[in-house]
Amino acid sequence: MSLDSSNSKQRSFNSTSSNNQSNASNSKKRKSNQKTLGMAWGANSLSGSRSSFRSSPFSDFGSYMAVKTRKLQNQFDAEASNSSRSDSSTKPIFDGVSIFVDGFTIPSSQELRQYMLNYGGRFENYFSRHRVSHIICSNLPDSKIKNLRSFSSGLPVVKPMWILDSVAANKLLSWVPYQLDQLANNQPTLSAFFTPKSKPADEGAFTNAICEVKPETELLCLKDASFSEAGNSFEWRKQATEEHNKLMCENSNKTVIDGPSNSYSEEPKEVEVVGPSNLQEGDESLANNRLQSCPEQSSASVSSHCFDNHRIRGSPGSSVIGPSKQRHSTLGDPNFVENYFRNSRLHFIGTWRNRYRNRFPSLSNGWTKSSHSDVSAGSQKTPIIHIDMDCFFVSVVIRRHPELIDKPVAVCHSDNPKGTAEISSANYPARDYGIKAGMFVRDAKGLCPQLVILPYNFEAYEKVADQFYNILHKHCNRVQAVSCDEAFLDVTDLEGKDPQFLASAIRKEIYEATGCSASAGIAKNMLMARLATSTAKPNGQCYIHPEKVDEYLGPLPIKALPGIGHVLAEKLKNKNVQTCGQLRLISKDSLQKDFGIKTGEMLWNYSRGVDNRLVGMIQESKSVGAEVNWGVRFRDFQHAQHFLLDLCKEVSLRLQGCGVQGRTFTLKIKKRRKDAGEPAKFMGCGDCENLSHSTTVPLATDDVEVLQRITKQLFGSFHIDFKDIRGVGLQVSRLENADISRQAPERNSLKSWLMSDSASSKEQFDINSRAKECIGTDSEGKSMDGNSSLLHNASVENSVHGTNNASNGEGCSNQNSSVPPLCHLDIGVVESLPSELLSELNEIYGGKLVEMITKRKLQGDNSAGSLCFIPPEPAQVAVVEAERSHNSDSVSLSRSAVEMKDEQPILEELRTVPDSGARPISVAISTAGLENNDLVPSSLSQVDTSVLQQLPEELRADIFEALPAHRIQEISALGPKTDNVHHPLGIESADNQPGSGLSNNLWIGNPPLWVEKFKVSNLTSLKFIADMYYKANSPESLSSILQCTLAESLHPLDATCDAWTEAIHSFSELLMNYIKLKIGVDIEEIYVCFRLLRRLSTKSEFFLEVYDVVFPHLQASIDENYGGTLNIPPHN
Amino acid sequence: MERKDNQTPQGEIARILVEFLEVAITSVVSLKGIYPSGAFERRKYMNVVVQRARHPQLREYIHSAVSGLFNFIQKGLVERVAVIFYNADNIPIERFIFKLTVNQSFGSNVEEVDLEFSLRSFLIKLSVSQTLTTVLPRDCRWEITAYFRALPQISASKDAEMWIPTDTKQWQQPPLITPIKSMNSEPLGLQLYLEHPNSSELLSG
Repeated sequence: MSLDSSNSKQRSFNSTSSNNQSNASNSKKRKSNQKTLGMAWGANSLSGSRSSFRSSPFSDFGSYMAVKTRKLQNQFDAEASNSSRSDSSTKPIFDGVSIFVDGFTIPSSQELRQYMLNYGGRFENYFSRHRVSHIICSNLPDSKIKNLRSFSSGLPVVKPMWILDSVAANKLLSWVPYQLDQLANNQPTLSAFFTPKSKPADEGAFTNAICEVKPETELLCLKDASFSEAGNSFEWRKQATEEHNKLMCENSNKTVIDGPSNSYSEEPKEVEVVGPSNLQEGDESLANNRLQSCPEQSSASVSSHCFDNHRIRGSPGSSVIGPSKQRHSTLGDPNFVENYFRNSRLHFIGTWRNRYRNRFPSLSNGWTKSSHSDVSAGSQKTPIIHIDMDCFFVSVVIRRHPELIDKPVAVCHSDNPKGTAEISSANYPARDYGIKAGMFVRDAKGLCPQLVILPYNFEAYEKVADQFYNILHKHCNRVQAVSCDEAFLDVTDLEGKDPQFLASAIRKEIYEATGCSASAGIAKNMLMARLATSTAKPNGQCYIHPEKVDEYLGPLPIKALPGIGHVLAEKLKNKNVQTCGQLRLISKDSLQKDFGIKTGEMLWNYSRGVDNRLVGMIQESKSVGAEVNWGVRFRDFQHAQHFLLDLCKEVSLRLQGCGVQGRTFTLKIKKRRKDAGEPAKFMGCGDCENLSHSTTVPLATDDVEVLQRITKQLFGSFHIDFKDIRGVGLQVSRLENADISRQAPERNSLKSWLMSDSASSKEQFDINSRAKECIGTDSEGKSMDGNSSLLHNASVENSVHGTNNASNGEGCSNQNSSVPPLCHLDIGVVESLPSELLSELNEIYGGKLVEMITKRKLQGDNSAGSLCFIPPEPAQVAVVEAERSHNSDSVSLSRSAVEMKDEQPILEELRTVPDSGARPISVAISTAGLENNDLVPSSLSQVDTSVLQQLPEELRADIFEALPAHRIQEISALGPKTDNVHHPLGIESADNQPGSGLSNNLWIGNPPLWVEKFKVSNLTSLKFIADMYYKANSPESLSSILQCTLAESLHPLDATCDAWTEAIHSFSELLMNYIKLKIGVDIEEIYVCFRLLRRLSTKSEFFLEVYDVVFPHLQASIDENYGGTLNIPPHN
Repeated sequence: MERKDNQTPQGEIARILVEFLEVAITSVVSLKGIYPSGAFERRKYMNVVVQRARHPQLREYIHSAVSGLFNFIQKGLVERVAVIFYNADNIPIERFIFKLTVNQSFGSNVEEVDLEFSLRSFLIKLSVSQTLTTVLPRDCRWEITAYFRALPQISASKDAEMWIPTDTKQWQQPPLITPIKSMNSEPLGLQLYLEHPNSSELLSG
């Protein structure tokens, strides 16, 4: 209440708004002398606010704020005196604590304020170093983290949980453990990073333990009338009890067994049992569970727990058959949601994909990027194999019962012959009776009284699916998993083998390994392969030759095509289209008109057997959710809330299983229609209206509590009678990778540096590979194995950090990276590391690092000499390449050549004596600068003779030696030429053929070519401009050079007529070059240049003439490119 | 993940560019003073103060026009985006041209920060370019026109349907061009310049 009143006060304050006042409401967010904390409006809005206050009773902004703060304080005090627990005997919890809430928090700042009110603390609306004692926030932007001191003024920055926990504990807890993670973990130590943490593993085990206990108790709580095998039941119960006791003992030190678990001892009669075989399986799974909970096992990878959990949750379901009358609705079963999904086949299929991804992370992602570019073009040839297990869910269950193979068998979670449970899969003999998936057991029994109904065995499904994929991945490295029992193989790479032969080999192997048959279709693309499989079934294979595609498709009913369901088929039927042949008669346009662009195109393509999808395109799931629409009956509101919480838990688990977090939450509700009676299907949803509401939050989350809060809100917005609810679904979309959002702070860590370094220093690999040889690969491999898993663990741990114990699969698969192998390390970098770091790294590599460095040093001394280990630059890499291609003698040559390039500017300085005017020579510099790859020039004509001249005698001899023999004569030819360099060769040639020759090259290189050219010319005006180049601030742009020129008072002129025209010509050419270079991308620069030139032209005759020469050219270029003229008046 | 189809660098560039154009066009309109100054409010974008239209229809016009270009920009179809001011006779008086070059083969990730740095300079330069522009007569109107490299396929997407072919009056003579700002980075080239009718044309028209 108090909260509302304060709000309404503020509102009324706002609502008196004139122009002034609306500013005032803004100014709540502004501070003058107050410290600003996370408000978007900066100082620039201040001036505006000041002026608007001129007319207000406050003299300035500061005094206004002072008054306002005081008023808020008074309000707070008044409320506090009303609402605080008046236990005058004890001190209130938050006595002396004054919080400031920054940004979005859970609970909200208003709730926190309420806590402070109730428990004697203070709540500050505005930050002040003097009044605030703690800053509460959940998240800080990076900028504030960096400037923490200026942000917090040294005050503790604490998570809101601190307040909640303090209230719960009824005393003021230390804030230290609640410090914001971003701050607490600001600088993780290296060792923390690389040592495996046992704690999260334990946590994993802990959750496992809980999971184990729950299914057990569930089992025991189940009620059912049918005690078909009462004799066994006792035995089973005993055993189960024993198991349970063991579990309890095991877990008693860690886990708190919740209410229902105790109930089993009181009503053990209610245990419901199936056959002995299931019993055995139950045992197996239990044994399994126990194994999983061993810490050693779980420490392998945190993410595996997630799936272990799923498995555990799946397995006990196999031992439960028959719906209990009461407990199988939300009414009787407190853990309904959990059980629901445990027994759900769809849930198994849905979560299977994650499991698969984790098992084959590299395989399922690795090659997708490298997929052939020619595949789409040459798709006519690509052989694709589609493999599908025959009635997977049945055949896996009956493979241990050979006597059942010829009998009609179906899989269903209940075999009550009168039941309305739906059959989920039926084998071929059963299908002959007309039994289909989705049929009620009742109806199926009606069609085929001898139908055997078996329960799911999720454990076995998982095992078989794994075997299945192991076989596929063994034969082919391009596998796209469609589902747990269905996959596409792209066997393009395996050209040597006949795909038909391969398919039969795979099928045989699958049968031998799993005892279940599979069918295969082979065709040129995925669509046809899939269709071929449907022809091949059961237990066969079919090859559709590319030429036979039309023949095959012609009579095919359209419903056989994937993507065509009831609705579409019905629409097409109305158009008298029932086969693909008929569909082909319709034009693409009219299909697109009738069915939309995408569907139309799909129909058109599919009816012609065209399918451009590539094998391996795994679709990221767009949303994650869970929906329950069976057995939903709510007793009261509380009950519905409890159900929602369970649903949130499930969704949260799934999100974490997928390693994603979502932003948009959609709550779907199935509401019984008014006139609908009890549905035909027992506990089914019947005739329902589907309602949905959704909301989007700014920060992606997978946290149960947040989910719960949002779900509650959404649920409230339905305004629905809980009695009418027949189904509830929660869906999360706008997914983001959880590890991205969580791991951001870790990005800057050393590990990521190691990763990126291994990539960036790939070039360095050449050098290091030699070191690798010395060390020996096997020992290295060993040490790597050990370490990679450690690191892996650590990284996963980090990604999990901050949430509850379950981990995310994605994080795991993305983080597969490990410490780079020794040979990838850039030794130069490693050597220059501080010694502590080095020793730590060395430990990680098991001492190999130091060993390697010493070896390296020795080797370096022995080797030909001048290899250097500076961090890789393209030039240096070239050294290595050169070294590899030539013998060791040439090292010094190429090395020196590289040095030359690197030191070009210096050399140029050296060459102030006009000793190299020859054009080809200077070109050599620029080409070398552009393509560093091939540094040993193939001919001496590319060598800068001036550089050559500067070299010491021996070095020059080395270079000549290294050149190919037939080039040697060129040296002698070059010899005399070097004497002639005083001739201004280049300029003369440019003079003779203006506009061509050097056309585009003048601006290439650093410094650009023209600088050199102008400098060595004997024309003073050109030399002057070249000098300007070195004076300019940013010499790469002509405008700054011209600016510099403009500032110069003296403009030298060439006296002779010849030199005059020559200079004008050269400079004009330079300008035209520049125009050409910039016209497409930067007319602003050109514009500035010509404005400057125009001003220069008033000062100097030279520039005037240049301007007049170039200006028409400029306008022509502009007109050509922009259809207009530059807005510079022609000079007159 | 929310913007899956923007994951390509081109998509990312287009997204940034569309957002930028919306702001820049609003700035142009506000700069020209075609509406009373109260029609705009100060906002911060890329850390500079910009104007934002307060009238929902004006805002919606600019927003929908520019965001309708998203797909075309992404595919590199848009060559220029012009903000054209007409006098009462429907003759263009002044045109602000944004010339775009999106590198279609640019493969690596776009650093939004780098682009922002360059784009910000446009907004700053624009805010001080009033002297370069002409004073508008009374009863002006304005529109956003985009020039395509090739005519886009009809109804390729819903947003695009907002764009209709136009037969804007052209000047008889090539216009005078006054560059305002250019940037040329690896993924994106952008130039902003003004076009005014040739002085002779004004006399004849």
